[in-house]
Formats: sequence, structure tokens, C-alpha cells
Amino acid sequence: MESPQNIKKRLKSVNNIGQITKAMELVSATKMRKSQEIALASRPYAFAGLELLANLSVLEKTSKLKMPKLFEVRKKINKVLFIVVSSDKGLAGAFNSSVFKKFEAHLKIEKEEWKKEQHIYLAVGEKAYQYLNKKGFKVVKKFIHAGDFTTPEQVLPLSDFIIKGYLNYDFDRVIAVSTHFRSALKQEPHIRRVLPIDFEHVKDTIKEIIPEKGKFAELIKEHRIDFVPDEKKVAEYLIEPNPQEVIEKLAEHLFFMQVYHLILEANASEHSARRMAMKTASDNAKDLGETLNLQYNKSRQSRITTEIAEISAGAEAQQ
Amino acid sequence: MKLSIYSLKKVLFQGSAQLLNCKTQLGEITVLDNHEPLIIVLTKGTARIKDDTGNEHFLEIKSGFLEVRQENEVRCIVEQ
Repeated sequence: MESPQNIKKRLKSVNNIGQITKAMELVSATKMRKSQEIALASRPYAFAGLELLANLSVLEKTSKLKMPKLFEVRKKINKVLFIVVSSDKGLAGAFNSSVFKKFEAHLKIEKEEWKKEQHIYLAVGEKAYQYLNKKGFKVVKKFIHAGDFTTPEQVLPLSDFIIKGYLNYDFDRVIAVSTHFRSALKQEPHIRRVLPIDFEHVKDTIKEIIPEKGKFAELIKEHRIDFVPDEKKVAEYLIEPNPQEVIEKLAEHLFFMQVYHLILEANASEHSARRMAMKTASDNAKDLGETLNLQYNKSRQSRITTEIAEISAGAEAQQ
Repeated sequence: MKLSIYSLKKVLFQGSAQLLNCKTQLGEITVLDNHEPLIIVLTKGTARIKDDTGNEHFLEIKSGFLEVRQENEVRCIVEQ
């Protein structure tokens, strides 16, 4: 049997690790709640923006308004930009690897017609950058150190880069691989097209702001996202400087908002994934600690028994 | 009029107001009660709001949109 000293040493380190993981679990739980709140705070903005877009798109049918370039589906697609959204830090369970797995699976099922397309990649988060580099993919740009919660200021350079590149024909389609926050216990990797903008896709993103279960889930019933603009009413609008310019600006704002939500959702998922991972780790540490404690007591007892046996044997020998 | 101003981070103003003054692409605009329906692009500047009690609020705006809707309702979405 191992010596009690050795077991005691191991017991101590297991307890220490348990304390650290417990602390990380609590911190992540708070961060997760906060990032959900941040996402919810932007809902009124998202709704108002989408409604405005719905109103304006009515004008497209009635007058000569052209949909902005960000909406236009290009016929010939030469280059595709992939955005891979991950975390900066590890210790978040399967959070990052599930995103990468989904991404790889997507590349594998590529159809014949996609094979001609050239791929370029954009990394959000340190882990995505490391992963893409290791795989030997060409990373055009990386956006890292977003911190625990991204702010609109941090997302602005990213969305600017994508819009500029898209309008410049650097790429003809943009696909984002990120994590969808379904509930505190369930996150799913998700692949969606972000450019060209699709009205339905934006709507989905806004719907997904609210998790399916948990603290904020009851909010779903309050709002219904069905925009049926009244064509007569829309016609009464005075639009300045002109509808074309307004819808182009609005498209940029909506795209920015979508990217912002994508990253916020990844933030929330990262924190809850880390919370789960840390919870399992502290549970394991607790189990391990109990077993080690038992072992320690047994080994101490057996040592005492041997000692007493030795002493009594010695005493007997002297008589 | 019913005025609400939203940004990505939070709701900046919500309630009834007498007056909203802000900068647009075509110059400064002041929206009072019962304005005709309007959609306009906002530019960098300060928005001044006078609420029903006569208190003034000032908001910094980088860009955004102003929408005057039917039934005396004004909505802004702004970037700060």
C-alpha cells in the first residue's frame, strides 16, 4: 500500500484543483447570464431595424427601387469566405472542437459545383486561428481578444472588412460557422449564409436571440415576428435623401447587427460550455478526493496496526 | 408624441416627448407632434429630446435612422 504521506500529497492537490474548477464554474455561470442579457438588450433595435427593412422592401415592388448589392445573389461564385467563430481561451469542453468538426463535415459534403470555388477563411477567436493555421488554410484576417463579451465597437472592424471585401468582389458569398445557444445546457454548431443577406435569415437570427429554455425563454411569447407591411401606408412615407440610399445604409446596419449577434451568441455558448465542463471537473475532483481520503485512512490504520504488532512482539520477546 | 430610441446596447429613450432635434444627411431636423410619416438617415451629432415634463435629454449619435410612423409615433435606431 502507498504511504500515507504520498496519498496525503495527492489528496491535497486534488482538493486544490477542485476548488479552482468550482470557482471557474461559478464565474462562467455569471458570465453566461450577463452575455444573455446583453443579447436581449439589443432586441428592440433588431426589431425596429427589421420592420424598417420590411417597409422599405415593399417599395421595391411598387417603385424603381433596386435592392442593395448586399442582398443580391450573385450568379457566378468564384470565392467563398468562411468565418469560423470560436473562443480565445480553452477549458470550455467540446465548445471549439464541435465547431471545427461541423466545419470539416461541411467541407466534406461539398457538392460538385462547389469544387470550383476558391475558399478563404477568416478567424474569430484565437482558437479558430490556431486551428485554421494548423490545417494549412489560408487565413485572410483574424479577429481575436474579443474578451468575455463583445461590444459593437469591437465588431465594427470585422463587419466593415466583410462588407468592403464583398462589394469589392473579393468574395461572392460569406458563410459563418458558429455556435447556436439553444439553452444553458445545449449548444449546437451552426452553419449559415450571412452574405448575401436574406430577409428570412436575419429574421431567424433575431428569433434565436432568445434561448429555447431557461430564464429568458418566456419572452418568446411576448413578441411575434410577423411583418406584414401595409402597402398603402408605406407609400405615404417621405423618404430622404432617397429610398435607394436609405436601404443601402440599412442593409449595412442589419448586416452589422447580424455579425454582432453571431459573436454574442458564441460568447454565451462559450461561457455555458465552460460552466458545464468545469462542473464535471469539480464533480470528478470530489469523487477522487473521497476515494483518496478512504485510501489514506486505510493506509494509516494498517501502519498503526503493524507498529503495535511490532511493539507487542518486542515486549513478548523480552519477557 | 411617442418616442423610442434604440441602440444595440440598450434602449436609450422610451416615453412621450414634445420635441426631438437631430442631425440628418440633409441638415438638422426637429420633429414635433403629428409629423408626417418620414424615414431619414441620421448622421453624427447630438440628439436633443424634450420630454413631456420639459426636461431635456442629450444623446450622442454616430449614425442611424429616424422613422416617423402613423399615429404620432417616432422610432430611431442609432449607432453610438
